[in-house]
Amino acid sequence: MTRFFRTRQAALTPLLLLSPAILTMLFVVAIPLVFSFYTSLTPYRLTRPETIETFIGFRNYVRLWEDAAFWAAFWRTILFLVIALNVEFLLGLGIALLINKITWGQRTLRTIMMFPMMFSPILVGFQFKFIFNDNIGIVNNALQSMGIIDFAIPWLVDARLAMFSIIFAEVWMSTSVFAILLLAGLFAMPRDPLEAAKVDGCNAWQTFRHITLPFIMPFAFIAMTIRSLDVARAYDIVQVMTDGGPAGRTELLWTLIARVGYENARMGQANAMAYVSTILSIAFTYFFFTKLVAARRYMGGAE
Amino acid sequence: MMKLRLKALAATAMVPLLAGAVAAQDYGNFDGYTLRVKLIGGAQYEPLYATISDWEAATGATVEILSRKNHFELDREIKQDIAAGTLDWCVGSNHTSFAPQYGNIYVDLREHISEDVLSEFVQRVLDHSTVDGRLVQLPRHSDVSNFYYQKSLFEDPENQAAFEAEYGYPLAPPETWEQVADMAKFFADPPNFFGFQYVGKDEAVTGRFYEMLVAEGGQLFTEDWEPAFNSEAGVRALQFFVDLYEAGAVPVGVPNYLWDDTGLGFGSGTVAMNLDWAGWSAYFNDPANSQVAGDVGLIRAPMGSAGVRTGWSGSHSFSITETCDNKEAAASFVTFLTDHDRQMIEARTGLLPSRSEVWETAKAEFAEGGNDFLVEVFDTYAASMAEDAFTPPLIPEWIEVSNVLWPRLQAAIVGDQTAQEALDQAADEARIVMEDAGYL
Repeated sequence: MTRFFRTRQAALTPLLLLSPAILTMLFVVAIPLVFSFYTSLTPYRLTRPETIETFIGFRNYVRLWEDAAFWAAFWRTILFLVIALNVEFLLGLGIALLINKITWGQRTLRTIMMFPMMFSPILVGFQFKFIFNDNIGIVNNALQSMGIIDFAIPWLVDARLAMFSIIFAEVWMSTSVFAILLLAGLFAMPRDPLEAAKVDGCNAWQTFRHITLPFIMPFAFIAMTIRSLDVARAYDIVQVMTDGGPAGRTELLWTLIARVGYENARMGQANAMAYVSTILSIAFTYFFFTKLVAARRYMGGAE
Repeated sequence: MMKLRLKALAATAMVPLLAGAVAAQDYGNFDGYTLRVKLIGGAQYEPLYATISDWEAATGATVEILSRKNHFELDREIKQDIAAGTLDWCVGSNHTSFAPQYGNIYVDLREHISEDVLSEFVQRVLDHSTVDGRLVQLPRHSDVSNFYYQKSLFEDPENQAAFEAEYGYPLAPPETWEQVADMAKFFADPPNFFGFQYVGKDEAVTGRFYEMLVAEGGQLFTEDWEPAFNSEAGVRALQFFVDLYEAGAVPVGVPNYLWDDTGLGFGSGTVAMNLDWAGWSAYFNDPANSQVAGDVGLIRAPMGSAGVRTGWSGSHSFSITETCDNKEAAASFVTFLTDHDRQMIEARTGLLPSRSEVWETAKAEFAEGGNDFLVEVFDTYAASMAEDAFTPPLIPEWIEVSNVLWPRLQAAIVGDQTAQEALDQAADEARIVMEDAGYL
């Protein structure tokens, strides 16, 4: 009998020790998630709290399914994500490789590189909104003064240019995330394979392609996971620069969700949108983690 | 009481002018009380808050400012407070466009502020501050847009001759929006110079469309709250913006412009005419910031084809929550912030007072100081506040209707849809909003 209790106690001990963590997770993650999911099944309006008690099943989701504007924003967000992540990765890689070569002033450069990340996204939005202003903005004025163009480029109005301008601002602000993580990868890289490659007569491109790049790819996938979650929630810069316009040309998921949830005060409907949009984040995170595991396996690392 | 007098005495010694004004009215004694407030922030609004310490000195109360955000962020925060049931503060900044959304969270001020005080406010502005028969906000300053133009362009004999030859009537500051369209096209020389400009997104473009709709004889809703802006008048109103855009008479970026873009644009000297708020007047005529300083003409907003002037108007205001634990102190505070001397502080920067007497005092002060431009500004805006100003429908759904309308207005402006198609689609979407809200 005593033995039975002792065994049971031993079995419960890990659970007991883990309980603070489990309770914290429950209160911080699970309950808010369940609550917000429940609100997505109601016509909950922030300004009329009693509406949270009206259960309407999946009506908000059915509406979403038929909402062309939502799906346009959904696909546009994917496009935005793919372009921004690739450009940030390529630029970040270039910067990391260049800084890795520097032997003097590297620390100062690393600090300078982080400057754009220190600005609030709202300030970055305002800065680029005025840079790309068609009439008094610096870009058009410079191009016109140099005689390159004799018309005003509608940076924030034309569908492609407006997306370009927003991606430009996003890339300007966040490329350093990639650069700093890839630089960490380069610092951690063992010298032996590089020296072996040199002895074997590999040229610089071959060394980079077959040794350096595979080694830093796990770092790149971690950066991509972090940034994909960030970019999928892009809001401040877009809100300030175009607010999703003109005519929905730059509407992304979170400008739409924030407008529905806060300005229109329809939090139930906004939560339904947010839940559908999390599919996107889950898909990207799953994709990058799969790539991360594959990259590590390729390098002979632990899975 | 002795303590209050001593504090008042100390305040008088430190700031004789302001404290003298505060002493002129009894704001009560709320010794030891802490009044929690949420105020709109921003450079334009801050000078008024510098005087809060005078109210604290006069009443013995302390003011705790919980928030100082722009109106859109403040709106978001207030909605969160309503949802979370955390309306544990007393005074909040408000606006005529936002006020109807908040239901009954704010008190009817007629029950807390004496009729003597209220009678000193401009009646029309008080009417605009009333929702469902309740005065839910005390107006701090009002605004309406009037028409600015570069005087030298209109006085140039060459321009006068060329314009008359092309359009068959003399070049003079426009009386109608049809004339504005002619003149805008006449002055335009893109990309270096533009005839006109307008804000093109968010509630800003909805408001501009709405006032043009009224000037064209149309209405947003029928009496039964059926959307009615896709009428002939609506199409005419929207077509005004579309035509100017297609003609290149306005900057190509206008669909993305907000108030700062149009204000800075006119100040840069690259735009001939501009419909704007009074708050920009001082900036336009300030040689340190504006290329058109000394050359700024101002007239009342032109008329549409219905013979009505555009006059979309709104007021910044203060409200007191129903949950406030000391409504007397809150009423004293909002009365103080909107009293004669406080409104003079804002009037000196070009903001339009909501008290009748301040209009006269401010004008007299400007005239005495030789500031003829601000006298002209106050004369022009006084006329439009008295005769032209109107608000959007004071219903909780205004912002939501605006949010379905403005992307369609943009779609017509940039040529994705015709004016009729855009307004029809917006009307369908607005109908759903009104149905959901129980109007239809």
